[in-house]
Amino acid sequence: MPTFKLDDREIPFEPGDTIIRAAHRVGIDIPHYCWHPGLSVAANCRMCLVEIMPPPGRPALMLDVLSWDAEKGEYVPQKKPKLQPACQFGAADGLVVKSGTSEHVIKARSAVQELLLLNHPVDCPICDQAGECRLQDYWLEHQAKKKRMRDEPVHKPKGVVFGPTIVYDAERCIVCTRCVRVSEELAKDPVLSVRERGNLNEIVVAPGRELDHKYTLMTEYVCPVGALTAVDFRFKARVWFLRSARTVCTGCATGCNSFTDFDPRNQKVYRYRPRENELVNKYWMCDDGMLEHRRIHEGRVLTARVRGENTTREAALEKAADFLRGKEPSSIGVVLSPEHSQEDNLALVWLAREVLGTTQVFVGGRPEGTGDDILINADKNANSAGVAEFVDLIALRSFSEFEATVAGGKLDVVVSLGSAVPHDTQAPGKVRALVSLVTHEGPWSKAGAVVLPASSWAESDGTFVNARGLAQESEKAISPQGDSRPAWRLVAELARALGRAPSWRRVEDVRGSVTKAARTSSVPAPSAGANG
Amino acid sequence: MRHFFQNTKEMAFGMRNDPNLEAIEDGVNTISYPEQRRPYPARFRGVHRLTHREDGSPRCVACLCCSTACPAQCIHIEASEYPVGDKRRGYERFPARFVIDELRCVFCGFCVEACPCDAIRMDTGIHAPPYDSREQFIYEKDLLMGFAGRDGSQASANPRHEPGEASHPGVDRERQH
Repeated sequence: MPTFKLDDREIPFEPGDTIIRAAHRVGIDIPHYCWHPGLSVAANCRMCLVEIMPPPGRPALMLDVLSWDAEKGEYVPQKKPKLQPACQFGAADGLVVKSGTSEHVIKARSAVQELLLLNHPVDCPICDQAGECRLQDYWLEHQAKKKRMRDEPVHKPKGVVFGPTIVYDAERCIVCTRCVRVSEELAKDPVLSVRERGNLNEIVVAPGRELDHKYTLMTEYVCPVGALTAVDFRFKARVWFLRSARTVCTGCATGCNSFTDFDPRNQKVYRYRPRENELVNKYWMCDDGMLEHRRIHEGRVLTARVRGENTTREAALEKAADFLRGKEPSSIGVVLSPEHSQEDNLALVWLAREVLGTTQVFVGGRPEGTGDDILINADKNANSAGVAEFVDLIALRSFSEFEATVAGGKLDVVVSLGSAVPHDTQAPGKVRALVSLVTHEGPWSKAGAVVLPASSWAESDGTFVNARGLAQESEKAISPQGDSRPAWRLVAELARALGRAPSWRRVEDVRGSVTKAARTSSVPAPSAGANG
Repeated sequence: MRHFFQNTKEMAFGMRNDPNLEAIEDGVNTISYPEQRRPYPARFRGVHRLTHREDGSPRCVACLCCSTACPAQCIHIEASEYPVGDKRRGYERFPARFVIDELRCVFCGFCVEACPCDAIRMDTGIHAPPYDSREQFIYEKDLLMGFAGRDGSQASANPRHEPGEASHPGVDRERQH
């Protein structure tokens, strides 16, 4: 592989790479605002300027400049090398590049920072980007000087509503055009553009339009400063209080890798952020996925119920065990849910096969939605492919067959997992004794004779298999809310109440049995895409 | 021993140290606290107050810098956005709740140092009062905004750009271009 020299390090690169991309790949961060690995090159922020050393024996390209001479007390003519943007300059074999070791580069970075902050309002206390702002970070790293300008900064519009999800502040904007490029290149909807020139320029939405495509929150995500803020997140939390868990988005079958940002003090999830994974979502997530975090706290079932009355989990489990005791195995039905992780479903498959002895296993899930050819999958269940893998262990039947079997009166007791049904149906209400393990209010929680509160995806470790068959692990972010417990644990408790203790006690044990029992050869190992 | 006799004499004759002068007198002087109190120095850190804007709303923008800096973790703030129609809606927020647990506070003054808006001050000159229940130490926003500085002012020294002023950032698009 060809290499070039960056400061004192040999950097390998692939043909076509720019300097910044090759450096980014080996983990060296050349300071930048406008460059983003997933977007085209704009080279307008000038933060990534580097010094390219001339080939041996050739003179360097020098510029005439005036620089202040403190001794003489006047400006004196001087020469300085022409710096090049690392985001645009192609890497070449044997190239010698100076970044942090060049005094010209260090000076240029400081000057660029000063220019970008010239008209910045420096309203960090009221800015939601504070704490994860490039301007803050780079000021400390590369400028660390007080502002010299004594004039009133240029004032521009603030709080401009771009659309239902995004609010824009032109004064904070450094016009890196990342948001413009996201709209154009990712969402294929060029609704944003730049108007005016120089210190008056600002981002505007196309006349008569709103920023309302499916990837608006990505404009906010790529914004390196606080110019774009998400209506969903702004003013809600300060980022330095948040911790991140590496999770998988459960909004659809794509299984985008995400960070779940939560506040450990009040155990509340505040937002998702995309997590880089070249195999699945690259750098992006859709709006629906980004807002999926709301469902972690909204519409949840947090207490056990028996016939609509709140009760303790133990009492509800005992009641559920009562339903199941001494029943003919063929009169017991089990409904799996592709909303839930492999672990939850496997526990239920185990319960059906080993404890209840039934073969009446059905698959539920959320109804189909719309998809696109960017990221969104029409299948809104995060783990459809994973549940389908259990066909090796037990015969799986569709939800329509469940409806038919219930209508035929063949099921006395049903143990169901999941909160949604694939289509409008009366079937859950017709079951005589329904034990439902639910995370959210829905048809199952309404119909359940015994309702057991299951934890959501954010409150338990779990494995989700996406539409392409990639098994991805999702980390636990917050503790189980209310009286809820992970569904696989509820299944274990139910089995214990029936007098059959499972061999697994921790999620790792369940996961181990997933990989042993249910993984088919066509599925890559779980570590393949987990950390990206 | 000398002080014992001096204090006994003063007690007997009803002469008490002047709390203002005793500091410049030699030796250890005893005053009868709490009937007599020594004056606090100018920079004494007393009970917190929240400063006002000119329209009486809090200057605090709920940035949570004070609660981040607080080593005792005694400040609790719930941020909220100004309602629709408010001039400050869209780019500024305010504290819907601002609670200080004065029992937990160690009066270090870090919150005052951290505040970028001069919204929290400890210049009330009020010594943290004793109460007989914990709840009474929980100071809510209204109470904190009710205190004045030692000079009687509820505002802060440096003014703020407010909507409508020429220096205010939130000018509209039409006027600017």
